[in-house]
Amino acid sequence: MVSSHSDILKGRRIDGRRFDSASLAFLSPAGLLLFLLFLGPVVYSFYLGFTNLQLIGPHSTNFWFTGSVNLKSMFRNEEFYHSLYITMIFVVGSGAIGSTIGGLVLALLMQAGAPVFRGIVGAAAMLSCILPPVTVAVMWHASTSAGGVFPFLLGLPHVEFLYNYPMTVVSVANIWWLCGLSMLMFSAALRNISHEMIEAALLERASAYQRFIRIILPSLRPTIVTSALLMCLLSFGNFTLIFLMTGGGPANATNILPLYSYVQGFTFHRLGFGALLGNVIILLSAILGSLFVLIGYLSTRRATSVKKAGE
Amino acid sequence: MSQSMSLPGEPVPVRVLSPGKVAVNLLLILCALFFLSPMIWLLVASVDTQASQQLEWPTLTLHQFEIAFNRNNMRALGNSLMLSIVATCVATIPSSIAAYSFSRHKIPGKNGILLSILFLSGVPISILIIPIYQIFQWADCLSLIPTAVFLGVTAMPFEIYVIKNAIDAIPLDLEEAARIEQASIVRILVRVIAPLCLPGIMAAAIYGFINTWGNFLPPLVLITDTVQQPSPVAIFGFMTADVVNYGAIAAYSLVYSTPVIILYIVMARLFRGGFVLGGAVK
Repeated sequence: MVSSHSDILKGRRIDGRRFDSASLAFLSPAGLLLFLLFLGPVVYSFYLGFTNLQLIGPHSTNFWFTGSVNLKSMFRNEEFYHSLYITMIFVVGSGAIGSTIGGLVLALLMQAGAPVFRGIVGAAAMLSCILPPVTVAVMWHASTSAGGVFPFLLGLPHVEFLYNYPMTVVSVANIWWLCGLSMLMFSAALRNISHEMIEAALLERASAYQRFIRIILPSLRPTIVTSALLMCLLSFGNFTLIFLMTGGGPANATNILPLYSYVQGFTFHRLGFGALLGNVIILLSAILGSLFVLIGYLSTRRATSVKKAGE
Repeated sequence: MSQSMSLPGEPVPVRVLSPGKVAVNLLLILCALFFLSPMIWLLVASVDTQASQQLEWPTLTLHQFEIAFNRNNMRALGNSLMLSIVATCVATIPSSIAAYSFSRHKIPGKNGILLSILFLSGVPISILIIPIYQIFQWADCLSLIPTAVFLGVTAMPFEIYVIKNAIDAIPLDLEEAARIEQASIVRILVRVIAPLCLPGIMAAAIYGFINTWGNFLPPLVLITDTVQQPSPVAIFGFMTADVVNYGAIAAYSLVYSTPVIILYIVMARLFRGGFVLGGAVK
C-alpha cells in the first residue's frame, strides 16, 4: 500500500487504484523466468500427457496428439489404482496426519519436559529436518536393513524391516524428516496461547485433558490446518527419499505416483504416459490444497462466529 | 497435575517428581533416541574401518574420508557448488526486484497473483521433469548451467514470498523521506531498501542454495554428462554399486551435509535478528 503522501505530491487521485507502469519492468524478469521454466512446462506437460511421446525411437521426435489413448490405458491399468492408493496413504497418512500429530506431540512433550531433554529433542528434530533428502535416505536405508539400528533397538536384529514392511518404513522416515518443521510451528503456536485462559481453567480445577480439549486444541486449529497442508505438499515432493530407499519396490509396494511417473517416462520410455501421471499429481495436489484452504476457512469462520456469539 | 505445569512469568514451581513428569521425560528420551540413532550411525560408520549397516564400536580410521575426498567425489561436490551458486543468483536477483514491486506498487489482481505464486511453491518438482527434459532436449542444452537455471526458477516462488515479507516490514516513511529529497528510484532501491531488507534477501538466497544443493532428480535426468553430475547423484552411485561401502557413503554424506547445516544456522540467526526496524521511525 503506497501511502497517500507521494500521491498528493504527484497530483494523483488518491482513491483510484492505478497501475504503475514501472512495476511491469520490475516484474518482467521474474515473470519471464517463471513463465518459461515453470508455468509454461506445466501447461506443456498437460499437452504431452495426451501424446504418444517416447524417450527413444521414432516417436521421440515425431509425436502427435492421440486423444484419450493414454487416459484409457491409465484407467485400465491396475498398477495405477494401486499407486494412487499408496500415494494417498503416504501423502495424507504419513504427511498430513502423521507428521502433524508427530510435531504436535513433540511440541507438547517439550513444553512439559525437563529443559535438558527439551534442548536435546528440539535440536535433534530440527537437525533431522534440515538434512538433505539424500542423506536422510542413506541413513534410513542403513538403519532399517537387517542388523541396522532400528531392528536392533526393537529387539529384532535379523529382520529386514525395509524389505518386509517397506511402506511403513518409508512413511516413518518421511515423518522423521518432516516433523521437526511442524514441531517448530506448534511450539510457536503454543507460546501464543493466552496464559489467562489456562490460569482461569486451572482455578476452575480443569483437568489436563479438559484444558487440552477445550483450550489448547481449539487455539491450535489454524496451525493444524497449515501444518497439514504443508506436510502434505512436502510429502508429495519427497521423491528422493523413496527412490533411494526402495526404488518403488519391492514388487511396487512403495511405487507412489511421482515414482511411477518417473519410471514410466525414463525406464519404460513412455514419456507421454509419464506426463499424464504428472498431470494427475498436479490435479491431486490442487484438490488437496484447496480442500485444506477450505477447511481452514470454514474453521476460522466458525471460530470467529463462536467468539462473536460469546461477546 | 497443577504443580507440574510451569507457567511462564510465574515463580519457578518447586520440583516435584510426579509420575506424569517422569512419563513425559521418558517419552522425550525415546523421541531423542528415535531422532538421533540414524545420525549416530552415520557419524560412527564414517570413521569405522569395517563399517556396515550395523552400529558397532568403531575401529577408528580416516580412510573413509580419504575415499570421500578423492578426485571424482570432490568434482561432484564442486559441481554441486557451481549448480547451487548459479541457481541462487538466477533466483534471488529477479525475485528481489519482483518482491519490491509486489510490496510497494499497485498491481491489479495482486492478491490473486501472490496466492498463485504461493501455490506454485508447493507444486512437486518431479512433475516438471518430463516437460523440462523435452524442452532441454529440443534446445540441445541437457547440461549443468541450464539445469542450474531451472532449479533456481523452482525456488523463485518461495523466495519472492520471503523477500516481499521482508520489504513489507520496512516503514514506508523512510522511502517517502528519500523521495522528498529527490532520490531516484534506483537510488532508493540501492541505498534504502536493499540494506534494510538484506537479512530477508540473504535468508531467501540461502533457501535457494539449500534447495538446489539437496535436489536429486533434476540433475540426474537433465545432465547427460556424468562428469558434470553433482553430489546427490554421486551418493546414488555409491548406493547402487555392486559392493556397498557403507563407511565411504557415510563419510561422503557427512561432508555433503555439513554446508547445509552451517547455512541453516546462519539463516536462523538472520531470521531472529532480522526484521527489527522499529527504531527507524519515531
